[in-house]
Amino acid sequence: MARETAVALENVRKTYRIGEPVHALDGVSLAVPRGSYTAIMGPSGSGKSTLMNLVGCLDTPTAGEVVVGGRPVGELEDRERTRLRGTEVGFVFQTFNLMPRLNALENVALPQLFQGIDRAERRERARDLLERVGLGDRAEHLPNELSGGQRQRVALARALVNDPAIVLADEPSGNLDTDTEADILDLFDEFHAAGTTMLVVTHERHVADRADRIVHLLDGTIERIEDLERGNDGGSAVDPGRGTETTPDADADSETGSPTGRREADSE
Amino acid sequence: MNPLESLRLSWRSIRGHKLRSALTTLGIVIGIAAVIAFVTLGASLQAGIIGDISPDDRRNVYGWAADPDTEGGPLAGAQPVFTPDDLDSVASQPDVAAAYGYATIQTQAISNGNETVAQGNGLIATGPSYIREGRLAEGRQFERGDREAVVNPAAANQFEENVTIGDELTVTILGGERTTLEVVGITDTSEGQSPFEGFESSPRVYVPTDPYYVEQAAGLGIGGGSDGSGNDTGAGSENGTGTGDARFLAIIIEADSAAQSDIDAARESATAYLESEQSDASELLGDDLAVTFQTSTELLQQLQDVLALLRNFIVGIAAISLLVGSIGIANIMLVSVTERTREIGIMKAVGAQNRDVLGLFLTEAVILGVIGAILGTGLGLLGGYLGAQYIDLPLVYPLEYVALAIGVGVLVGILAGLYPAWRAARTDPIDALRYE
Repeated sequence: MARETAVALENVRKTYRIGEPVHALDGVSLAVPRGSYTAIMGPSGSGKSTLMNLVGCLDTPTAGEVVVGGRPVGELEDRERTRLRGTEVGFVFQTFNLMPRLNALENVALPQLFQGIDRAERRERARDLLERVGLGDRAEHLPNELSGGQRQRVALARALVNDPAIVLADEPSGNLDTDTEADILDLFDEFHAAGTTMLVVTHERHVADRADRIVHLLDGTIERIEDLERGNDGGSAVDPGRGTETTPDADADSETGSPTGRREADSE
Repeated sequence: MNPLESLRLSWRSIRGHKLRSALTTLGIVIGIAAVIAFVTLGASLQAGIIGDISPDDRRNVYGWAADPDTEGGPLAGAQPVFTPDDLDSVASQPDVAAAYGYATIQTQAISNGNETVAQGNGLIATGPSYIREGRLAEGRQFERGDREAVVNPAAANQFEENVTIGDELTVTILGGERTTLEVVGITDTSEGQSPFEGFESSPRVYVPTDPYYVEQAAGLGIGGGSDGSGNDTGAGSENGTGTGDARFLAIIIEADSAAQSDIDAARESATAYLESEQSDASELLGDDLAVTFQTSTELLQQLQDVLALLRNFIVGIAAISLLVGSIGIANIMLVSVTERTREIGIMKAVGAQNRDVLGLFLTEAVILGVIGAILGTGLGLLGGYLGAQYIDLPLVYPLEYVALAIGVGVLVGILAGLYPAWRAARTDPIDALRYE
């Protein structure tokens, strides 16, 4: 696996001033290699969202450096940062965040619209991605005509349309039932296997378990990094470990079991 | 993002709120429609007035002597000063094609055979060419010195048995004197032939000044011909110089053509002669009596000025309604920006630049403005058309105003959309994505 870095955080600090200064992130350093699958976990207020916003080029750090796609986010002008966000970052949100009056195809093509890519090319690319997420026959449907799982597939296709350095998913399965969740996470695995860099923010263990490693945040700092990399030393060795880790998360039973198995099958 | 794409997306969101968009647009529709309708009506009214001046009237210059400070229309404060000799001399001046007097002879009644109809200002004594060949429906002009007359259809048809060419009418002049005249022509319209008469329809009988006015003047001692503008009798007895020296209240001169330069030349040479020692009129002219020469167009200018003022006033009110309409657009755009905060957040998250967002909202406001302007223009033109039909005016569409209306629609859209669009553009995507 190529270890080129997709996103790097170097001693990043983000301070909000709401009366007293609040350190949402307090000296975080993290490298996200290209092609990796990272999960970020942590309780509310641990700095997950802030990290998300920084990596997503939506925000700039108070101190330290955030490098996305080789470019320092903090030093860019707003316009450049927006451009970087459009081309190098793909967002998948908990609430899908599709444009309500645009159909599936147009939603997928939207990021390319803002990059000035012409209509025919956009539509071809969007159609192709919709096929890949299994919605080739739903291209003309509006979001409210699609199920939650289908909407999230559209969102994933949209995130991938500009071939970004990283896909940022914020609780991607938070609004989905367990079956649909598994489908979406399988799809993530599929794209990851095909080389997409994934960064998933979640508070659910079984979702995080799909990743190569889990970054645990607490009070704005990295508490620990849990390495789940199985690619090198074989799946069997890791599986039991994951099983025990999963147990505290209550219902992480058969649903997580089977997709995980499939993912490993894919990666091997 | 290219403008076509903005247009497509904006149009989509306008269609997403059909009723709201329609109501927003309505403000502009009403404003523009009001402006266009009133401007159309004003232009039509103006054309109607100018249209009343027949083409052959345009080379005529109407003159009378009055106190220069007198205000009012034709013949206001006019005094009888022009003698027949003056008229002949003016006619022989360079640049003057013809000149003749104008006077009304008050009558009591007109009889056709046994039938008598009461009529007040019945006889108009003037020169033969006052009734132009082109205005005659039948017959010919009367001739100077003959007891002949041209009547208009209203006069001809007021008897049970219509007057035809060759009929002899008996006129009872004010004072009881009777005179006869032979009808030699009938005009094509009952409207007045010049501003001296007024343009409204009424029965009129046109006769030569000689013999009718001359006789009349001799009978009263002086030009008793009156159109009711007063002072004639006093002036008459003062200025009376005996039989055959009738003085006319008004003079009509004809320029060589309707061109402004010819009209000015005719006017100048006539004025120059009348004010010179050679003329009889100059005896009476002085500080408080000067000759005024005006064309029909000039005489109507005053009326047109009033009309233009009125029109501007109404257009001003309509413009205020347009302003209200644009505030409506601004208001609805602000609501729309707030309502679509999340969409703005999504667009920015997937790479929309501030100017893209600005462009989208601005385009939306401009579309509303332009649609309003187009519909308003259509409605206004229709309103103007119906109004013109109702008042029976020739329809004139002021096309430059239509172009202006569309321009105003765009401008209103931009002005009304600017602030909301700017607000949308500077929305923080992080807040926007969190917005419920």
